[in-house]
Amino acid sequence: MKIGLEIHVQLPTKSKMFCSCPTTDAPAPNTHVCPTCLGMPGSRPVLNRKVLEYGIMLAKMLGCKVADTTWFSRKTYFYPDMSKSVQITQYDNPIGEGGVYYLNGKKPIRITRIHVEEDPGKTKRVGDLSSLIDYNRSGIPLAEIVTEPDISTPAEAREFLGQLIEDIRHVIALPGDGERSIRCDCNISVGKERCEVKNVTGLKNVERALTFEMIRQTKILKAGGKIDRETRRFDEERGVTISVRKKEFEADYGYIDEPDLGIYHLKEMADAIKIKESPQKMALRLAHEYGIDQKAAKQLVTTSVGLAETFEAVAKELGVQNAVKWVSGPVSAGWKAMEARGGSPDDVVPIIRRFVAGEITDTECALEIKCAMTGESAESVKGASGDLDKIIGEFLDQNPAIIADYAKNEKAANKAIGFVMKQSGGRFSSAEVVEAVRKDIESRM
Amino acid sequence: MTMRSILSGLKETNAKYRMFHAMTEDSDPGDAKFLFSAKDNLTSADMETCSGSKILVGYRPPFDAESIAKMRAAGGKLIGKCNMDEFGFGTFSTNSGLEIPRNPYDLERACGGSSGGSACAAAVFEGHVSLGVSTGGSICCPASFCGVYGIAPTYGRVSRYGLIDYGNSLDKIGVISADAKDLRKYTHIIAGKDAKDPTSCAQPEFKDTGRKLKSVAIPKEGVEGLSKDVEKAFFEAVERLRSMGVDVESIDMPSLKYAMPAYYVLATSEASTNLARYVGMRYGQQEGDHSLKFDDYFSYFRSKYFGDEAKRRILLGTYTRMAGFRDRYYAKALKVRQVVIKDYKRAFETHDAVLAPTMPFSAPRFDDISGMSALDSYKADYLTVPANIAGTPHISVPCGYGSDGMPIGMQFVADHWDEEVLFDAAEEWEKGFEMRKPEVGA
Amino acid sequence: MDRETVERVARAAHIKLTEAELERYSKDLNDILSYFELLDEAPDCEESGVNPIEVADVLRDDEPRMDADPDVLLRGMDTYERYIRGPRLS
Repeated sequence: MKIGLEIHVQLPTKSKMFCSCPTTDAPAPNTHVCPTCLGMPGSRPVLNRKVLEYGIMLAKMLGCKVADTTWFSRKTYFYPDMSKSVQITQYDNPIGEGGVYYLNGKKPIRITRIHVEEDPGKTKRVGDLSSLIDYNRSGIPLAEIVTEPDISTPAEAREFLGQLIEDIRHVIALPGDGERSIRCDCNISVGKERCEVKNVTGLKNVERALTFEMIRQTKILKAGGKIDRETRRFDEERGVTISVRKKEFEADYGYIDEPDLGIYHLKEMADAIKIKESPQKMALRLAHEYGIDQKAAKQLVTTSVGLAETFEAVAKELGVQNAVKWVSGPVSAGWKAMEARGGSPDDVVPIIRRFVAGEITDTECALEIKCAMTGESAESVKGASGDLDKIIGEFLDQNPAIIADYAKNEKAANKAIGFVMKQSGGRFSSAEVVEAVRKDIESRM
Repeated sequence: MTMRSILSGLKETNAKYRMFHAMTEDSDPGDAKFLFSAKDNLTSADMETCSGSKILVGYRPPFDAESIAKMRAAGGKLIGKCNMDEFGFGTFSTNSGLEIPRNPYDLERACGGSSGGSACAAAVFEGHVSLGVSTGGSICCPASFCGVYGIAPTYGRVSRYGLIDYGNSLDKIGVISADAKDLRKYTHIIAGKDAKDPTSCAQPEFKDTGRKLKSVAIPKEGVEGLSKDVEKAFFEAVERLRSMGVDVESIDMPSLKYAMPAYYVLATSEASTNLARYVGMRYGQQEGDHSLKFDDYFSYFRSKYFGDEAKRRILLGTYTRMAGFRDRYYAKALKVRQVVIKDYKRAFETHDAVLAPTMPFSAPRFDDISGMSALDSYKADYLTVPANIAGTPHISVPCGYGSDGMPIGMQFVADHWDEEVLFDAAEEWEKGFEMRKPEVGA
Repeated sequence: MDRETVERVARAAHIKLTEAELERYSKDLNDILSYFELLDEAPDCEESGVNPIEVADVLRDDEPRMDADPDVLLRGMDTYERYIRGPRLS
């Protein structure tokens, strides 16, 4: 089975792609519109610089070659939401081509191309009699990322999208609800012929639509049937895909160059743009550079890129061992609490420094870090952790087998962790409990 | 004719010549410094704008075209929107969905196209200037048929903001007037960078103001297939140029014959995408049955309101950019454009301008036009199309009159951004040229 | 350009042709395309610019602003509760 995706991501510009209308939520239909995004005769597009910048950032993130020169094309098709019946998109010389994305840091998913284009408006059905159109969305910039058919299963497609979106969100500062605004055209072939499921919204639906298609195509092939090359759409409520049109009725877009905009030299712009490392890449690099387990590295960046940065700072200055011991340990355990109270991780490095210099003991260091993270006083932390240590100690005293089991399989600790979590009634964070249990077990080994 | 008398007789004059599709109701010029008109594909907030098409009837643009706004800012009063071929699709202004303008020298003859109403107004109203638009010759052709001066400046010289597009890589807004000096004056007013039209932002300043025309090249390919009247008038004019001290040399420009097919491929490819927006929604005609499926609803409007030539060019342009044919037609035409530009640049290395008759014949009679095939009328553009596909500025000046008394024009083409040498050519030519004004009476 | 192609092109362009129009346009387009065969022999060229002059790097800053009053724009349009009316979708 082969799956390829065409992923549409709205770019977080303040104004639209070819006009100055705001991209923020509009108070009512057709309020963020002007002659350009309504396609009125005589209006003209002017390109938003930020769209090219975001496009270049994503192209770089995906390891694409950024074009030296790029321009736009007109894709002609007739639909009520497309105000000019022409979409300004890219055909020849897109912003980026020929990249690769490593799923879980391992499996390569080749990226065919990335280009930028304008979003159409939104249609609303009125019974079966007519439609109503809101052009507020018309002209919002999109990046379209096209992959080669390198994805093997619907679940893998979802996993890939999840990681990709996390990376995109980080690199171009996409706002939180980005996941729902991701739209995909999904190409899937179980046998030789492929079908395209158009415009599927959200990760979960991509997996559902692909799974439905996989089963549908498999059934047809098993029964000796033939898959028709066609475009289908996904019915979210019923969870099924429905044929929209056969290949021979595909629209002919008749691409031509867009003469109203001219061309763009990207080289200088691309050289000047440095992108933030994506979370997936950072995890890979941390694992590689500091010789830590890939899962542990992933755990760091998933908790927060800030945590991973703290890890790296400590590893560089005070050695990997201390970074693993302190940052993956108590700093990580207290991270959410620190974020919740709007704190900063700046204070923890000097604490670890003092530990390394031998100024404070192991226990003192742990205590100070915890205070720095949670903002609580030393007394209350001491008391609480005393409680925690006491519960753990007593449990392990009564269940010494756990220590022996742990030596064979670290999962043995789960029994103690589960008990303590239940016993303490949520007073301690799971990270904290895990950390304390491990420490106690290891001290007994 | 004072401004006031023009205004008070406007309706009557228009009834005779049909130059305007929409016109002002005012009879008082107020504090206007001059009167002007504009081709009806330039949007005007105070007058209906239809671009010669039935599909746009009822369209009141919410904004003025930049060129109209600049004319108003300079003290001009817009008196009318000029009839034209639908969306600019024609050589005679007879492909109009609205009204067909009449030639001021002979009402049974065409004004030329597609800025026919503009050239007509420039010939009829005294001291009048009209804005025209050229895609493949639509300023120079009607200027020559109506015996007036017309300039299509360099592509990108005048902002196209507010121009209802025909071919976006070809369209140029320019000036038509019976007075050669108006061309310089009003081109300077409407030219300039406009942030609302990126293609206007590449232009340099007008260079070498006052630069004189010293030498012209006449391509052999540009003096083939001329009518007897045109041939005679043109070569007499060349003699007069020589006597004025201009060097004249005959050259080869082999690429010119490819310009016509390349032009029609580019123009119709672009036009068919520009016209895709007219679907009976948002503006113009909107009275359809919404319970039709969108494909049928759109087709209903487009089939009902587009005229014959608009449909032909939409079909042609849709075909030439279709997958499978795109490389042979559209992509090749883009390359041919570069070849034509190179040919011109070569000529400009040794000459100030390239000269040829504007049209191979003078204004034809309406009944002769109705007998012409589409291809016949496309072929009639072979002299104006090369400069248009190259985006080089060109000017038509009246150079004589035929045995039937109809005016004949010749066209100077200069290098990109070198309008000044054309202004000089027209102004020098005008001195001592015996202009025969049409007899204008209601 | 055979009849079938003309029909296909007309469908793509959303223009319905009567029998007589189909006949006429097929003939016209064939004449025109035969003439266009000239292009096949035209010299080739490395460059193929988007515009006849170079227009490059014209960009706008990302500053939101309303250039026109949407209420004025909607005035001439067929609307329902600020939505623009359109035909049936399927």
